[in-house]
Amino acid sequence: MKQLLLELAPRPEPTLDNYVAGRNGAALAALRALADAPEAGAVVYLYGETGAGKSHLVHAVAEAWRRRGRPPAHFLAVDDAHRLDEAAQGALFDAFNEARAAGGAILAAGDSRPRELRVREDLRTRLASGLAFQLHPLSDEEKATALRQRAGELGMRLPDEVIAYLLTHLRRDMPTLIAVLEAIDRYSLTAKRPVTLPLIREALQALNGGAR
Amino acid sequence: MEGFWHHCLARLEKELPAQQFTTWIRPLQVDPERSTEDELCLTAPNRFVLQWIKDRFLSRIETLAGEERGKPIRVSIALAGVEPEPAAPAAPFVRRAASSEKSAAPRQQAATADSRSNLIAEFTFDNFVPGKANALARAAAMQVAENPGTSYNPLFVYGGVGLGKTHLIHAVGNHVMSEQPGAKVRYLHAAQYISDVVRAYQQKSFDAFKRYYHSLDLLLIDDIQFFTGKDRTQEEFFYAFNALIEARKQIIITCDTYPRDIAGIDERLKTRFSWGLTVAIEPPEQEMRVAIILKKAEALNASIPEEVAFFIAKHIRSNVRELEGALKNVLAFARFSSKEMSVEVAREALKDLLSVHNRQISIENIQKTVAEYYKIKVADLHSKKRTRAIARPRQMAMALAKELTEMSLPEIGEAFGNRDHTTVLHACRTIATLRTKDPELNRDFHVLEQTLKG
Repeated sequence: MKQLLLELAPRPEPTLDNYVAGRNGAALAALRALADAPEAGAVVYLYGETGAGKSHLVHAVAEAWRRRGRPPAHFLAVDDAHRLDEAAQGALFDAFNEARAAGGAILAAGDSRPRELRVREDLRTRLASGLAFQLHPLSDEEKATALRQRAGELGMRLPDEVIAYLLTHLRRDMPTLIAVLEAIDRYSLTAKRPVTLPLIREALQALNGGAR
Repeated sequence: MEGFWHHCLARLEKELPAQQFTTWIRPLQVDPERSTEDELCLTAPNRFVLQWIKDRFLSRIETLAGEERGKPIRVSIALAGVEPEPAAPAAPFVRRAASSEKSAAPRQQAATADSRSNLIAEFTFDNFVPGKANALARAAAMQVAENPGTSYNPLFVYGGVGLGKTHLIHAVGNHVMSEQPGAKVRYLHAAQYISDVVRAYQQKSFDAFKRYYHSLDLLLIDDIQFFTGKDRTQEEFFYAFNALIEARKQIIITCDTYPRDIAGIDERLKTRFSWGLTVAIEPPEQEMRVAIILKKAEALNASIPEEVAFFIAKHIRSNVRELEGALKNVLAFARFSSKEMSVEVAREALKDLLSVHNRQISIENIQKTVAEYYKIKVADLHSKKRTRAIARPRQMAMALAKELTEMSLPEIGEAFGNRDHTTVLHACRTIATLRTKDPELNRDFHVLEQTLKG
């Protein structure tokens, strides 16, 4: 019988501190300023491939604003801007103008550069009026650091050969790697066995014949 | 003399854009009483046109008239119904004192009115960068700001997004507020007007709605093309428009196109939009873009060398908002990397934004590029061939695939003729080692990487 798991620790929230920046140091610095002491009317736009960390950062900044009691109507955090339908674009356009007039700040993320973002032109140019950062994927070493860090947050012992295994057998985007790491953590807790290579092979097989 | 002027008009119409011809030249009249064989006397309907003609067109008209007549002729211009001014150097922009109508009815309310004005204080004439692209619109807006309700009503400003329409009409609002602190000024986006109409409809409060909008001294309404297909809104706006114009209250409208070209707007409204003056804002030319960047930098308390401003202006051509974004990126990058501002730093800062391609790099693309580079076939990369001429490019392509995509190593192996992931790993290690020893191979790797990244 499988042991039921109590979720002892809640999943760690995405924060700016637990974001492994890699080549994205400039973006992180700008976002820290945006989270802590945004200039009135500041606009920051993030773009990059899936898995580069856009959602992590948007949530982290939104949460920082919430904690500081900044009104959500004037501090807008928008993920996946390229997916907004017509009505949502209209709403964002209005909200954008209001937020700027009220001295708020806007953070948005999308899948392409501001000049190629497929939204209404008046909205697009507004999103392009501030700082724009491409988020670059992490290198393998940085991914290993990020995995170690997440394992630490989960209270999980993660041997180096296991990290090497994950990086050579799985898709190497961070969402995949983190999801698999968390699944392995649960698997090892349920099986009451330490995280080792044999356990990982077994876990990956259990996870629908490998998560690659 | 009239017939002679018509010949001149026909020639001017040919050489000027229609918009300019209609706005500036057509309103001119010949003054038959003062005109002689040697002098053509024209009258302008107001000081604004008068100044404009003096500054820009007078010498051209003189040349044309001379050619038509076959001998030199003097051309003078005066306000209609006023003695002609002696040929003096062009006066700067004419300020007119407040009309008696306004001083007769001083507005007593305190400055509280601006709590609802929605004006953004930073948008002023002072920090609006003038240039050829917006000269007409700017001059007209200044004229209207000096004489709201009496010069051009409505003032209709049209042009693409991000060219400064909103800035300009806020500037009018701010100027009027500073001259007449009690004036009831309201800026709003057309979308807000639409939701106001909806709210009035739901709450059955059309009386209050009408009372409010009809009581304004200056209504600034942005992006009127949002009214497209909104019949009830258009009807309400029609009433508000009539009431305000009749009471000589100023209306300024912005739009993304010429009034005639707005789709889904009632004819009677379109006609009214062209009652006053219609002016365009064009995208800024390069010198103006440089000026804008320098001005924005100043506003951000940063100073940048002119060649950096030129660099940005040369690469960002679309609109003012994107210029501003590029400038901010350059400043942030220089600050973050603690580098002295230079063209190199600007280039580095805008590298991602300016690169030609921004596609996701696919494995097919990598294979094709590598095969072309080494002049082999893509099929060779998939094949079992192990000669150096094939095997090395294959290893190179695998290493690039690991570097530039997030694919798993087994997936990469599969894409190269079903090879094992250990083969991929071996290829990556081999290339990594060779790059430290073989400069030519290292160079190949860089060239390929850059080609793929675009």
